[in-house]
Amino acid sequence: MDPARRLGRAQIDVFAQLGVSTILLGGIYALIAVGLTLIFGIMRVVNFAHGEFLMLGMYLGFWAFTLLSMDPWFVLFVSIPLFFGIGVLTYVLVMKGVIHASHNVQIFTTVGLSTALQNTALVLWSGDFHTVRPWHALRPIRMLGTAFNLSQVVAFVIALTLTVLLFAFMRFTHTGRVMRATAQDRDAAILMGIDTDRVYRITFALGIAAVGAAGVLVSPLYAVYPTAGLQFVLLSYVVVVLGGLGDMVGALIGSLIVAAVEVAGSYWFGTAWKEIFYFLLFIGVLVFRPAGLFGQRGAENLGV
Amino acid sequence: MRRRLPIIVVAAVLTLSAALAAVSFGQSGEYKIGVLEPLTGPLAGEGKRHMEGFEIVRDMINERGGVMGKKLVFAVADVPDPTSASTEANRLITREGVKIVTGTFSSRLCGAASEAAARHNVIYWETSCVDPRFNKRGLKNVYRTEIDATGFGWYNIEFIVKHLAPRFNLKPSQLKIAFVSEDSSYGQGVTESALARAKELGLQVVTPTPEYYNFQTINDMTPIIVKLKQLNPDVVHHIAYTNDAPLFWRQAREQNFQFKALVHAGATGYGGSDFGKAMGNDGNGVFALLEPGPGFKLDSLKPEGQKIEKEFRDAVQKRTGSYPFGAHQLAGGGLWLLKLVLDKSQSDDPEKFRSAVMSMDLPVGTMINGWGVKFSETGQNSNDRVQHYMLQWQNGQLVTVWPEEFTTNRAKWIPLGAWDARK
Repeated sequence: MDPARRLGRAQIDVFAQLGVSTILLGGIYALIAVGLTLIFGIMRVVNFAHGEFLMLGMYLGFWAFTLLSMDPWFVLFVSIPLFFGIGVLTYVLVMKGVIHASHNVQIFTTVGLSTALQNTALVLWSGDFHTVRPWHALRPIRMLGTAFNLSQVVAFVIALTLTVLLFAFMRFTHTGRVMRATAQDRDAAILMGIDTDRVYRITFALGIAAVGAAGVLVSPLYAVYPTAGLQFVLLSYVVVVLGGLGDMVGALIGSLIVAAVEVAGSYWFGTAWKEIFYFLLFIGVLVFRPAGLFGQRGAENLGV
Repeated sequence: MRRRLPIIVVAAVLTLSAALAAVSFGQSGEYKIGVLEPLTGPLAGEGKRHMEGFEIVRDMINERGGVMGKKLVFAVADVPDPTSASTEANRLITREGVKIVTGTFSSRLCGAASEAAARHNVIYWETSCVDPRFNKRGLKNVYRTEIDATGFGWYNIEFIVKHLAPRFNLKPSQLKIAFVSEDSSYGQGVTESALARAKELGLQVVTPTPEYYNFQTINDMTPIIVKLKQLNPDVVHHIAYTNDAPLFWRQAREQNFQFKALVHAGATGYGGSDFGKAMGNDGNGVFALLEPGPGFKLDSLKPEGQKIEKEFRDAVQKRTGSYPFGAHQLAGGGLWLLKLVLDKSQSDDPEKFRSAVMSMDLPVGTMINGWGVKFSETGQNSNDRVQHYMLQWQNGQLVTVWPEEFTTNRAKWIPLGAWDARK
């Protein structure tokens, strides 16, 4: 008999477990997508190298743990300023030149950057799969018939905090207001005396700092290797489109939706179906609500 | 003048390519073969080890005077995906002028690569992919030294029924087995053949449709594990590719999913060195069908087999500091066999080469890995000659445990105890 149809105590535990898995997996996706939605929303640049910055964050977590025995939770504090710096550098050296160019040029540039970063990692650190195993990665927590691990819970809490902080930053600070203004109308922003170059630089650096932090936090959960970013980056696009460009809270909710589709689809229909489901959702949103489930109508055309 | 320009360009290109051809054919002291290997991309880790295996055996061959009286050299191409496998095979044949192409480590690559070689009527010598369709396409000059996935599935069920079931005190008809697998032709090939064999022998299959997933996009195994937990199998037959192996193992532990044994096949996933590095002692107890590992008794081989196997192991130890891994052994065994064939044919003419291949008849225990040789008309080396072995992770090392006559080690943790009690 199909186990999914059996009812009773065991079945309630199954639902609880699937629920917990959804929330924790969604947290990881949100962590990755927040930086992407920021860059996407404000700069209108699709950063195809986003996954590779995640991979670099994972390697930072790995090397700090292997060489210095540093717990990824401490590395987090180093990673944020470090990746902010890498973000500024990448913007100045690469993105600045193509920010006013056509979308095609931007896509070629970021795809090129992605391949270059992947292969740099391959040359420097080989194609081997590395693992980070701090004490919390293998510590299962069992509660009310469900089980999960501590690294995932912390990743989820930090994802939530990061989202709230970025949301507050965008909403309540002067810089945040300037960034939103630039996103809404670049030309008008320039006429108002806003230094759009500075806005883009900060945006890109913030986005990269966020994904760098995500990389460090997921390093105990997934294998670290040069193409590790690829398995997440496609998902983050779905999340960003679902949540609406540049919408932090939308990204969080979008992540939970994608994770729910993935977990439920895997359980009831088989894992092979999960991508069919969330890409159907993706296409559905593009057709019926192109600004995202929570975005304002027409926002998708702004600044493009 | 404008009309002449294209003619001049064409003439220049022709001259240049003729010159290049002269260079590549001009080295009379060397014999060049094409090697296709995934040196970048998701398979890079195992691809590099596979390449090491080729290089080590190439040096062993050259110490013995090379092939057809010439020094054996490689024209290497990086093939991370099926498209590049095809284009690079074309390039090696048309530009480098090779008459024999070998590779590719992966079932994702060997189909495309061999197809391209066959179009040029060039010999294609696969040493490791296990896609069952590989030798069923009627391609005359395509050979494979390793057994195919059907062989893997056959060996795995053999091990489960003959070795595990009695030690669980279960009759085969009482044993419940679940199938989980990545969804490439490799995983599906092994899984479908094991599933068919399990049904034939009357095992209770609790997953009539195997749980397939894509190894590149799977981020959470919990839903599969929750489902399997309810089905309560004795044995989990899991074919994994890369990081999906440690992910499944870690999350099964988290969910406290208790089963009696997990069996895998091949040099990927649980069979690769990365699983041991990732899991350490927590990986204890997993079985993987492979080439022989530590504990493999040299004296169980024929004298010529002992000599060459020892030399190969020492060479790998010297270069990598460890016992050979599956990828080394597949490449090494395959290339050594190519040398034996070329010794016999003394030619890379496809017809002469083919009759040399077909006339090879060596018993088990005569070659690297304790293999023997007997090819079928389809260009496939036979299951019973390419002896395979069950290895088990024991304290961070994969050791040979079955068939017992070939090894000094014995399988432990049967059935697997509680997750924290496998030390």
